[in-house]
Amino acid sequence: MTGTDDRATEDLSGTAHQQGEAKIEGKRIRCHPGIIIERTLPYALILFIGVTQLGRPVVAASLAVIFIAAILINYRIWSRTTIKFDDTGVVVERDTVFKRKKTIPYSKIASVNVNRGITNRLLGTSSLLININSGSGATVPEAVLTFEQGLAERIRSGILHRLHDRSDLQDDEDEPVETPALFTPLDVILHGLFNVSTYQTVSGLFFLFYSIFQFYVSARTDVGSAGALISLLIFAALLVGPFTSQIFYYYNYRVYRRGNTIYLQHGLIRSYRTSFDVSRINAVRIKSTLAARLMHRSCIEAEVVGLASGSGQSLRPVLCLLKDDATQQALLRELLPEFVYDRKPEKQPEGAKRVLLIRAGAASLVLALVMIYPSIYLYREAMAMPGVAGHVLPYILPLIAVSAILAIFYAVYVSYRITEFDLGDELFSFVNGAVDRETVTMNYDRVQMVVTVKGPIARLFDVARGKIYLLSSTGGSSITSGYFPERDLNAVGEIVMARIASGDYDYRKNSL
Amino acid sequence: MSTFTGEKGIEDGAPDPSSGAAGTDGYRRLNRRCMISIYIKYGIGYAILLAICTFLTSLTQNLPGPYYDIARLSLVGVPAIVLIYMVVAPPVFYARYRYRITDDRIEMRRGVLVISHTLVPIERVHQVEITRGPINNLLGLADVTITTAGGEATINYLELEEAERVAELLNKLIGEMLRERLHTPTPSVTGSADE
Repeated sequence: MTGTDDRATEDLSGTAHQQGEAKIEGKRIRCHPGIIIERTLPYALILFIGVTQLGRPVVAASLAVIFIAAILINYRIWSRTTIKFDDTGVVVERDTVFKRKKTIPYSKIASVNVNRGITNRLLGTSSLLININSGSGATVPEAVLTFEQGLAERIRSGILHRLHDRSDLQDDEDEPVETPALFTPLDVILHGLFNVSTYQTVSGLFFLFYSIFQFYVSARTDVGSAGALISLLIFAALLVGPFTSQIFYYYNYRVYRRGNTIYLQHGLIRSYRTSFDVSRINAVRIKSTLAARLMHRSCIEAEVVGLASGSGQSLRPVLCLLKDDATQQALLRELLPEFVYDRKPEKQPEGAKRVLLIRAGAASLVLALVMIYPSIYLYREAMAMPGVAGHVLPYILPLIAVSAILAIFYAVYVSYRITEFDLGDELFSFVNGAVDRETVTMNYDRVQMVVTVKGPIARLFDVARGKIYLLSSTGGSSITSGYFPERDLNAVGEIVMARIASGDYDYRKNSL
Repeated sequence: MSTFTGEKGIEDGAPDPSSGAAGTDGYRRLNRRCMISIYIKYGIGYAILLAICTFLTSLTQNLPGPYYDIARLSLVGVPAIVLIYMVVAPPVFYARYRYRITDDRIEMRRGVLVISHTLVPIERVHQVEITRGPINNLLGLADVTITTAGGEATINYLELEEAERVAELLNKLIGEMLRERLHTPTPSVTGSADE
C-alpha cells in the first residue's frame, strides 16, 4: 500500500449524492479491485483457448505462468495506483517499476462518462472514462478508472458539477425527464440495418450472392465449398457484424438535454451513459444512406471531442437514430437549436458540372480500357459454351462496363444536383454525397484552418473545392465541399477572421 | 493589418500569379535554393522508382499478350512522365509559392498541378515548430510547421534565419494574444467547461 486512505472509499459508499466528490476530495483512493479481474480476463480467454485447442502440456503450463504473472502484475498495478481528486484536477499516480503521474486539470476535461460491461455488471462496478479535449488523444480516454457503481456515479456527478458549476444540472440522471423523441426497438433495428454505408451494403450483398452461387456450384459439382465459406464470412464481417453490434450498442436508446448538457443512454450488454456540453460540439452531421432516404429517414451525429470509450465503438455520438425526416428535424430543433438556422443554399455553378463531367469521362475511359481485353477474352471463350451460358456470358463484361459507366454519369448528375454550400451568420454548411447524403453544419468559431484547392480542370472553369479543418471526434480532420467559385469558399475564412476581429468570437467558449 | 516584412533580399510584395494581385499584398516568395532541395529529393525518389520499375519489369515476363505490352509500356511511360514532371515542377513550385503572415493570419498559396490557398488564423495556432531534414540542412533551409487543433500547415523551404524569424514572430503574436486575454476580465461563462 502506498499511503492510500482506505477510509475514503468507505466514507463515500453511503454519502449523499452531491457530497460524493467532496468526501473524497484531497484523499488518495484506489480503484475497485474488480479492475484486476477486468484486466486479467483477456489472458484467461487466451489460456482457455490455448489449453483446449493446443492441448500440449508445455504450452498449457507456459500460458498458465503468463496468466498468473498477469494477475500478479495487475494486482501490483492496482495496489500501487492511487487517484486523488483535488481542487484543480484529477491526479492518477502509479508507483510501479514504470512510474507515472498523470494530472488532468478539471478545466481541460471534456467529458466524464460511465460504461458498464459484463464484468462490471457481475462485480457491481462501473468504468469511469475521463476524456480531455485533445486531437492527438481523441480516440482513447485519458483515464479509465473502475469504482463501485454508486461511487462511480457520485464521482461523475461531482466532476460534472465542478465542470459546469450550474444549478440546472440535475443530481440524478435517472430522474424522469421528457425525452424529445422516443426510439422503439424497431428504430434501433432499422438504424442497425440501414445506417451502414450503401457501398458496404452492396459489397456485403455481393459476397452473400456469390457465396450462394458457390454453394450451388459446389453442390452440383466436385468443387469444394471453401470459396463459398470465405465469401459468407466476408458478408458477415461487412453486414451481419455491424448490424448486430449497432443493435447491441443502441438498444434502449435515449437522448435528452438538460440545460446545456446533452445526455445519451443506451446499450444492451454494455451500457453507456454519456454526457457532454453543447459548447463542445464542433459540427453536426445529418446523414442518410440511400436505403434510409428511400424510407425518408435520417440520423444526426455530432462532432464532439473527448468522448472516447476505448471500446472501438463509433467516436461520433449519435443524437438521433434513423427516424423519419420530420421527427429528426424536430429533434434537432429541440435538442440543438444552436445548430439550426435558415439556410439559403448555393448550388454549384455551371463550371462545376463541366469539371464533374470531365472527371466522369476520364474515369469511364480508364474503366473501358481496363475492360477491353477481359471482354474480348471472355467473348472468345464463352461463345463456344452450350445453352444459355453461350448466349449470356460473352456479353456480360461489356454489359457490366456499360452499366458502371452509366452509374458514374448518373452519380455525377445527382452529385451536381444535390451538392450545396451555404453561409449563415454563425453557422455554415456543406451538403455532399450522391449515394449516401450528408449535411454538415459547422460553427465558424470552431474552424481551425481553411484550404481552397483548385486542380487543373477546376482552374479552367474557375471553380475550387473548400476543405474545412476542424477538431473532430477522431482528431484533426477536414470536411470537403463541392465545386464552387473560390471567392465564395474564401468567404468562410474571411468570416472566421472577421468574427475574431470584431469580438463575436468568444475564446472562453471556444478555446480547446 | 500589419504584415510580416522579414529581411531584405527576399522579394517582398512580389506579384501573386494565382490571385493576379499587383504585388502590394504582402505575400513573400521563397529562396531559389528551394529548387535545389526539391531536385535532390526528387532525384532520390526517382532512383527508388527506377529500382521498382526494374523489379516489376522482371515480373511482367509471364504476363499474357496484351497485358504484357500494356505493362511494358507503363513501365517505360510512367518513369518518363514522372521525369518530365520532376524537371518542370520545381520551377513552377518556386514561381507559385507565396506566403504571408499578418498580425491575425497566416496564408499560403502553392501548388504545381493543384493550387491551394491555406488560411490559418493566428488565434488557432497551438504550436510552432522548425524542422530541418538532412538535405535542407545542407542548403541552410528549414520548414516551419504550424499546428492547430484541426491539423497542420507548413511553410516549406524557408532560409534558416527566416524560419527562425517566422517562428519567433508567430510565438510573439500568440504570446501577445494570451497576455491580452489574461488582462481581460473573465466573466463567468455558463454552460461551458472551457477554461
